[in-house]
Amino acid sequence: MLQRYWFGDVDEQGCRSAGTDPAALAKRAATLRTGMESYVPIEWEIARDCGVVQDREGYIDLLRAVCTTLAREKIAVAYQGRDVELLQMVRMLDELDNVINLLSERAAEWYQVTNPAFSRKYRYLPAKKMPGIIRKGARGGLSDIADEIDRLAGVRSRLMREVSARAGGVMPNVSALIGGLVAARLLSRAGGLSALARMPGSTIQVLGSEQALFSHLRGGTPPPKHGIIFQHRRVHNAPREVRGRVARVLAAKLAIAARLDYYRGVLAPEFLDDAQKRIDEAGVVA
Amino acid sequence: MIRIGNVLVSPGEGGVYGERMLEGYRVWDPYRSKFAAYYLLGGELELTPGMRVLYLGAANGTTVSHVADYVETIYAVEFAPRPMQDLLEVARRRKKIVPIMADANQPYGYAPFMEAVDLVYQDVAQPNQVEIAEKNLVFLKPGGYLVLMLKTRSVDVRRDPADVVAEAREGLSQHLDVVDLRWLEPYHHDHAAIVCTRRG
Repeated sequence: MLQRYWFGDVDEQGCRSAGTDPAALAKRAATLRTGMESYVPIEWEIARDCGVVQDREGYIDLLRAVCTTLAREKIAVAYQGRDVELLQMVRMLDELDNVINLLSERAAEWYQVTNPAFSRKYRYLPAKKMPGIIRKGARGGLSDIADEIDRLAGVRSRLMREVSARAGGVMPNVSALIGGLVAARLLSRAGGLSALARMPGSTIQVLGSEQALFSHLRGGTPPPKHGIIFQHRRVHNAPREVRGRVARVLAAKLAIAARLDYYRGVLAPEFLDDAQKRIDEAGVVA
Repeated sequence: MIRIGNVLVSPGEGGVYGERMLEGYRVWDPYRSKFAAYYLLGGELELTPGMRVLYLGAANGTTVSHVADYVETIYAVEFAPRPMQDLLEVARRRKKIVPIMADANQPYGYAPFMEAVDLVYQDVAQPNQVEIAEKNLVFLKPGGYLVLMLKTRSVDVRRDPADVVAEAREGLSQHLDVVDLRWLEPYHHDHAAIVCTRRG
């Protein structure tokens, strides 16, 4: 039986070497298709007798060079996908949110201590506005921190716009249905566009509510109606009694949209019109 | 296996991942490495200088680097690009490691590079771990060992880990002799080491 190995072809007649250049060997190895029924593992001595290498050390060295070259190429290909960087961007965005919240809370606590008369009660003072007040009222370290928080907030909103724009390019149909930011969050949770495109609607519906889902599966608690897609206005603005239905229909359409994005990559207006109509219908209380 | 007092170590150049050194040896931490946990819990499979190993699920090359300190050659298979970057760096400094980027579920992807090995070590987070092990037996010499680090939660989060292990053991016994089964508590939860030998 013919065996096609990385260093050459071997059969009853003997061995035909494929050369000793790692780059050329890697190129050839990438094209090999091995049938496992008749496969026999390599005996490295064949490569020696074939004249490819002198000894075992040389055999392993050359093999390592070939495999490393191949691996580097495969890594480069894996990172080529346009969703790879978007994934990191969304995760950075969510991390920024966390950091900004933590810092603002802490800064507000600090500010209250320095200013005994200050209270947030009866004033509309969301955490967002606190850094501004602190900057005016505080001095020294606290005011520096308020400056930093403000700058971070600016970084965050610029990044958010970038994420939205990028998501519109990478997944036009999903973004058209739920907006770039939520689309990007779905992508991040799924781990990539290819993964998202392979998910059923029911999984997309509860992406991001894993804790509730598993506590439901373990028994007892009610199932989650929605995960990340709750962030879309059509879900969280829907009347309570139809919210589950809206989430389900939206998720089902998202599953189709993700596949369109992955396999086609361009906007599909006729699908979108249809889907929008269907989702709107789901939100109507009978 | 080399121990200093109760500490498992391996001989080799340190500094791979910030591991502690002890009398010139690299400390092999059971909390980071399931293989180390297996040894500290009484595992008896010796790694010897002549061994050739197929390591499935090599990840960042942490455990791989320790195994490489003991054996002759180690074929390290990893599928994900991010850990593969680290594995390549580990392999660059350790000449015994052959880094292969391929899917352990599809052995034909790396068959053209493989020789027969004395030990197949598998640590992959997949639901079909037993099936993957069976597919890779083609590389295992008769009389050779399979070490399956069964991640029961990857098989099915909802099922009782003990059931999952029992089922895996039964599946493996069709083609192999199970010689040892060890839970990795307290170092790793819901993980079991199943050691088998290939009939031959």
